Amino acid sequence: MAAPLELYCWRGDWGLPSIDTECLTVLAYSKFAGAPLKIHKITNPWKSPTGTLPALKTREEGSISKPSNIIIHLRKQKYNADYDLSAKEGADTLAFVSLLEEKLLPALIYTQWVDSKNYVDVTRSWYAENISFPLNFFLPNRMQNQQLEKLRLVRGDPMLEPGEQLEKELYRDALECMTLLSQRLGSHKFFFGDFPSSLDAYVFGHLAPLLKIKLPNGKLQQHLNSLDNLRNFCSNILLLYFPSTGQDNSSHKTPTHADGSDFDSEPHLRRNQILSALFAFGAMLGYAILTGIVSIERVQPQRALQARKRADDEEAD
Amino acid sequence: MGSVHAKSLDPLPMHGRDLGVNPDDVIEAPEPEHEAKQEILENKDVVVQHVNIQGLGRTKEDLLGYEISEVFLAKNLIDVMKKAHLARQKLLRLGIFKDVEVLIDTSEGADALPNGLDVTFEVTEVKRLTGSYNTMVGNNEGSMVLGLKLPNMFGRAEKLTFQFSYGTKETSYGLSFFKPQPGHFERNLTLNMYKVTGQFPWSSLKETDRGMSAELNFPLGITNHTLKWEGVWRELGCLARSASFAVREESGHSLKSALSHTVSVDSRNSAIFPSRGALLRVNQELAGYTGGDASFLKEDFELQMNRRLFWDSVLSASLWGGMLYPLGGQPSCIADRFYLGGPTSVRGFGMYSIGPQSEGDYLGGEAYWAGGLHLYTPLPFRPGKGGFGDLFRTHFFLNAGNLCNLNYGDGPRAHLQKLAECIRWSYGAGIVLRLGNIARLELNYCVPMGVQSGDRICDGVQFGAGIRFL
Amino acid sequence: MSLAAEAFVSQMAAAEPWPENATLYQPLKEDQILLSDCASSLAVQTYLRMCGLPVQVACRANAEYMSPSGKVPFVHVGNQVVSELGPIVQFTKAKGHSLSDGLDDVQRAEMKAYMELVNNMLLTAELYIQWCDDATASEISRPRYSSPYSWPLNHILAYQKQWEVRRKMNAIGWGGKTLEQVCRIRSAFATSSAQFFFQPTELDALVFGHLFTILTTRLTSTELAERIKSYSNLLSFCRRIEQSYFEDKILSVSLSLFIPSLIPSL
Repeated sequence: MAAPLELYCWRGDWGLPSIDTECLTVLAYSKFAGAPLKIHKITNPWKSPTGTLPALKTREEGSISKPSNIIIHLRKQKYNADYDLSAKEGADTLAFVSLLEEKLLPALIYTQWVDSKNYVDVTRSWYAENISFPLNFFLPNRMQNQQLEKLRLVRGDPMLEPGEQLEKELYRDALECMTLLSQRLGSHKFFFGDFPSSLDAYVFGHLAPLLKIKLPNGKLQQHLNSLDNLRNFCSNILLLYFPSTGQDNSSHKTPTHADGSDFDSEPHLRRNQILSALFAFGAMLGYAILTGIVSIERVQPQRALQARKRADDEEAD
Repeated sequence: MGSVHAKSLDPLPMHGRDLGVNPDDVIEAPEPEHEAKQEILENKDVVVQHVNIQGLGRTKEDLLGYEISEVFLAKNLIDVMKKAHLARQKLLRLGIFKDVEVLIDTSEGADALPNGLDVTFEVTEVKRLTGSYNTMVGNNEGSMVLGLKLPNMFGRAEKLTFQFSYGTKETSYGLSFFKPQPGHFERNLTLNMYKVTGQFPWSSLKETDRGMSAELNFPLGITNHTLKWEGVWRELGCLARSASFAVREESGHSLKSALSHTVSVDSRNSAIFPSRGALLRVNQELAGYTGGDASFLKEDFELQMNRRLFWDSVLSASLWGGMLYPLGGQPSCIADRFYLGGPTSVRGFGMYSIGPQSEGDYLGGEAYWAGGLHLYTPLPFRPGKGGFGDLFRTHFFLNAGNLCNLNYGDGPRAHLQKLAECIRWSYGAGIVLRLGNIARLELNYCVPMGVQSGDRICDGVQFGAGIRFL
Repeated sequence: MSLAAEAFVSQMAAAEPWPENATLYQPLKEDQILLSDCASSLAVQTYLRMCGLPVQVACRANAEYMSPSGKVPFVHVGNQVVSELGPIVQFTKAKGHSLSDGLDDVQRAEMKAYMELVNNMLLTAELYIQWCDDATASEISRPRYSSPYSWPLNHILAYQKQWEVRRKMNAIGWGGKTLEQVCRIRSAFATSSAQFFFQPTELDALVFGHLFTILTTRLTSTELAERIKSYSNLLSFCRRIEQSYFEDKILSVSLSLFIPSLIPSL
């Protein structure tokens, strides 16, 4: 068999295989479908072949970055977690994915990226710590702008302003959505019986960050914690399909972790270091040249002096 | 909201500059020469042979020719000095010179006459480009304002002004081009392009205007005329979700294209604290004739008369009135109607909080009148006389007014009756502070009377600032 | 408004009965309204009829800007203004009118999910066809959308709207889709939804609103309508609802007024 497909996604933390909802969705689906992917967990979206994360590098279609497209592609490769679903269940999947995207995702974006306390204390500090040197100064802010833009588009209101009113509306929708999901899940292990499907991957992707990332303003978290079946659903999936990430929960501050993918990220790490060292050196050099130009008149007499001295020396010879 | 869109851009330059002119400069400059040749020149007729202007860079000389030509007509030395002084002030008024100095000397050279004089203006031009940068914080919003000015753009006192304000909530800009006719500075043309956003909490209304206008100013006898065309794309919206439905119904986009004409006669000695003279300003606006969605005819006048009484006190009487007549069967738009009330019009009432309203949002009216009687006196015991104290006045006032919608089918008699019903009035006293020569602050104690249900009153102390006041 | 005040107001609203003068606002029916808005408006009207709540329909050129959420239709009931079907359903529920009381938790969850699906796919597909298909946009959507405005505002607003929708489409990954792909998505939806309907609920109102409007509106391409027509159960569903709730012909009259004004082409 040819080389496996390569998947690029955000690094994990807090006991999650990845901290990003879309990456989590794709990772979970690939595990459910048993797709043998080569996974690169990185902290620099610019290293992904599409410039965004997640991204799947394929042979035929180039690189794909939208989770739904990645899942469709995996399905085409016969890695189908939805094979056993009836037509009704297939329709349910579509419907609940819509529900997640319309009702829960905006609140998720709001709580992670717009709520100023959460953003400053957790989201920005995580990205600033994990993204490599020169990028970490502006990438988090750029990502925040992108997320805000996304929120505006999803809500269909270009004038949308963060505020109490918006927060209340978003959270109300999100709480309702979680309750509906909880009701739909009931006492089942997964949404459609005993085997996980793409819907489970989507739900997991949206709920797991809420469950695991400790945010200062945790209204959504509190509600999720009160829904036992959804909480168990997420921890089950983490336990069954991502056993390795649970371990480095305690030691998430260490840069290396016991994941199988670490071998892949190792050279990137070194390249990172070299790149940032080069950048720093370049900046210093540039500064030196700049100041050199400014003080060139002060330098020249010295050089002239040296030249004369050398000439003197030659004469002496 | 006609009065709200007073442009922040000021097409007339150099108000401040004019005040800064010290007439003594002019007289002093020629003094040494004067003394030396006093005997010869005092009684003699003189001829101004040459007028030189030094220090010109990009300014075209033909422009200055008009301004200084008067100097050649002077017949004796005193006359020369007077005319030179006037010419200097004319030059400064153009707003293109930082400083102008005048030198008068006897003519020298081959063609010099024995009684010939040379007048030299030494000018310093203002910079080609001036910029300003401000940050403003307030009202839950921060903004930075960037201003660029290109005075004397093509060398004939044209001026291009650009102002850009970038806020956390709103951005606005204004671009204005000003061109006076050479030799007749009062005849000028102004072109504007702008985007402004206004929030009107008394109506729960938010308005964004994008527009352009062309304005022609010219004097005619003692009157000043302004002809203006304005095309503006207005976007109205509710300020809050709780806005009344009447305001909600007005939301949306509209296009207004209006021709307006203003004539004014102003014989007052000061715009803020006049002690004599009168002002009459009549403004008429016709919208819809040149396209656009809004069509109406709007008439508006303002009259003010001042009379000095005993002990430097001044009695001032003013009357305002206006009428909006919708054309083509369309109802009038909330943004075009008149508003009344507040610390600069009928005092003792809330800002624009008189007349028709719906759920606490004031909708404005199609007709209004307001009158005021003021007695201005210097501060009691006149502290700081001749200096700081002159910035202040105490005043006693009596204001009255009414704002309503007219049923245009009823005829003028019914209209007058309607306007005479339910008159709001108020009286009180307070302190007025002059800010420069354009605005004033007031702190008043007011007693509102004739309050109708729905009016918002401000019983007691009221603070206000304004450019235009009753 | 503070939370407490708002809770108070909604309590007050709950206490008040449904007034006779409740009004539904939508864009001008003959010259202005577009497929997606018409569908949403019909869905709300159907829902209110299912609940037996009387509502007058008012057409305003600035309906979109009057709406608190910027989306049509919206209803003005007493002092309250509520836009879009979802909030309107919640609002009527607060007043004690609900169609989904008979459902169990799972069914209700599924119904809500399907409503989102309709919004997510049908509405998006309608918007896509209106604004991203060049022929439809230039021949129908832009002229109709801008019909109440005078030059040059009509062009500015229409292009502004088109740009906005296209940007949204790009962001949610519909940007590069062709008309055929959209139709395929829609037929996928039809297959999935054809098998799923309870007793009359807000979902049925929503689906009816969209399907009926698509079936009776002529666009530059009839492909969509053809696709739906191939599902006989959907057709009979539409017919059934039309007969049971719109017997007074108001709808038929309004639609027949509205259809010929669309430009037939292709």
